[in-house]
Amino acid sequence: MTTHNLALPSYHNQSPEVRARFQRIAQRPVVLKVEHLGKSFESVKGTVQALHDVSFQVRRREFISIIGPSGCGKSTLIRILAGLEEHTAGQILLDEQEVTGPGPDRGMVFQGYTLFPWLTVLKNVMFGLEVSSPIRGIAGITIEQEARGWIDMVGLSAFADSYPHELSGGMKQRVAIARALANRPRILLMDEPFGALDAQTRAKMQSYLLQIWKNVDVTIIFITHDLDEAVYLSDRIIVLKANPGEVQEIIEVPVEHPRRPEQFLSQEFLATKKRLEELIHPPREAEELLPVVRMTQIGDEVY
Amino acid sequence: MARARYFIIWKELDPARRKIFQVCSFVIPLILWAAISYCPAIWHPLMKVSDPGSIGHFRVDALIEKGAFFRENAKALAEQRKPASGVPANPVYLPAPHEVAASFYKAFVTPPRLPDEPWLHESLWHSIKIILWGFLISSVLAVPLGIIGGTYRLFSYLTDPFIEFFRYLPAPAFAALAVAVLGIYDGPKVAIIVIGTFFQQVLMISNTTQRLDPALLEAAQTLGARGFKLFSRVVIPGILPDVYRDMRILLGWAWTYLIVAEVVGNSTGITWFINQQAKYRIYDNVYAAIIMIGIIGLTTDLLLAWFGTQIFTWKSGKRSILSRLRTVYTSARVKQALPQETP
Repeated sequence: MTTHNLALPSYHNQSPEVRARFQRIAQRPVVLKVEHLGKSFESVKGTVQALHDVSFQVRRREFISIIGPSGCGKSTLIRILAGLEEHTAGQILLDEQEVTGPGPDRGMVFQGYTLFPWLTVLKNVMFGLEVSSPIRGIAGITIEQEARGWIDMVGLSAFADSYPHELSGGMKQRVAIARALANRPRILLMDEPFGALDAQTRAKMQSYLLQIWKNVDVTIIFITHDLDEAVYLSDRIIVLKANPGEVQEIIEVPVEHPRRPEQFLSQEFLATKKRLEELIHPPREAEELLPVVRMTQIGDEVY
Repeated sequence: MARARYFIIWKELDPARRKIFQVCSFVIPLILWAAISYCPAIWHPLMKVSDPGSIGHFRVDALIEKGAFFRENAKALAEQRKPASGVPANPVYLPAPHEVAASFYKAFVTPPRLPDEPWLHESLWHSIKIILWGFLISSVLAVPLGIIGGTYRLFSYLTDPFIEFFRYLPAPAFAALAVAVLGIYDGPKVAIIVIGTFFQQVLMISNTTQRLDPALLEAAQTLGARGFKLFSRVVIPGILPDVYRDMRILLGWAWTYLIVAEVVGNSTGITWFINQQAKYRIYDNVYAAIIMIGIIGLTTDLLLAWFGTQIFTWKSGKRSILSRLRTVYTSARVKQALPQETP
């Protein structure tokens, strides 16, 4: 379905409630500041500019999505934020401190789950607490209780002693979220976390994630290629364009909170989605026609 | 279309059929062997003399080449002498299955010909000791080196080229050197096994280490693990089951160096037994000893494989006895909990 031809109000129109909420967000302190971030690397074809002059700010407990066409460097961007890749220009400030390298203050949830298969769900969630606790073995019981609390929160207490291979994809991703949150990160980075899940599980996971975000003091940066998902979850959407990866527009989503599945058909929702589609898939002249020769009999039409 | 099912690529067979075919893999060679041994029409190039008749140089139980046997008989008949009689037979180096089977018992209870020679079980135990020492020394050196080489590029570049070169040098080529350095007893034998195993082991384990999912390392880093903790809490547990599997394969390789190793210096162990029996032309004992090596190897491997599934339950997906007990307990709790997504 494309929204290009629908008559919709502007996505800039915000209801008073939504506008008030954005004003409240603007009062909050900035958690993450990305300034003129660039990334280039050498390849056989010469220097490739993956990211160029990317700047944005994220305030405390905001939910930010990053979307863009394939090859726009959105995965590179989140991996740089996580410290898994190095940037070649600009800087990243977390609470005014420049960050380099990975650290527990920026939790990450990957598309491929990346649970440690040799550890039970409980031990997976305890991992971060154990490796980052300053003294080995301090209050092992406290760590376990803390981990169990996070497992309860994602609704998997019955599976605390199961191994990852015994869980479904959705359950694995819930464990991965619990594991990342157990470290109390300032920012939770999510790299297409629901991309490998079927549509039904994905819808469920989106609702879990909104509930978690509402109840936990965490700021979320979420990468997706699913426009509905971006609009449904986010406060703001950063739209990147490809070659080089640059910020095209930062959209304030005018859909009210709390978000509900019915809103998928609301005017604000569709208006935002229409704008995203214009940015990511500009309208083409006409549908591409394949050079297919008719191979059926006249009268035997499917439509 | 039941017949076509066997020829679907990668299609698993049901357990019962699988068992049948697995048993057949031993039964078929056994049938072939029995056919050659018991069916006089197949091969049997010799005649075993049961009555030499008038032929002076034939003796009872002597094995005579068929052509010669019938030529002599034809000559005897032409000269009106009594011909010899006999039955078709295989050469002495191909004993029948039942003879080899009997040897399995016989070889253990037959005392050695000379009082200072070892019994069969002593020879076997000596061989096993050589293997275990060789494999142990090789592993103690190669496993850490392989893991470190697979983890840090520095060590990989520092060791790989030389090891790649050295592994092409055949271990038996070092026999003379090993004797010169380590004497004529067990030292050089263990050394041959170490040389034969060590270099392959380093490369294999380094390769296994490099195949660890890099995403797990990234995940651990974003959880705050760094430096040695990354190594001890992610690399080591992540590769352990694969290293264990490598070790099983390499233990099998170590056995293949045994026969060469045991003729270095003074001949000992199962190789000594085999050569000694061959010298006495007791070939059923030779076969029994060779098959014994196979049985020891296969049994060890099956035991280690089973043991592996018990320790690395998370890898095999199979449940250890311990975890099956745990499941009974947890599933009772799960049933009471809210119906979640089913795994």
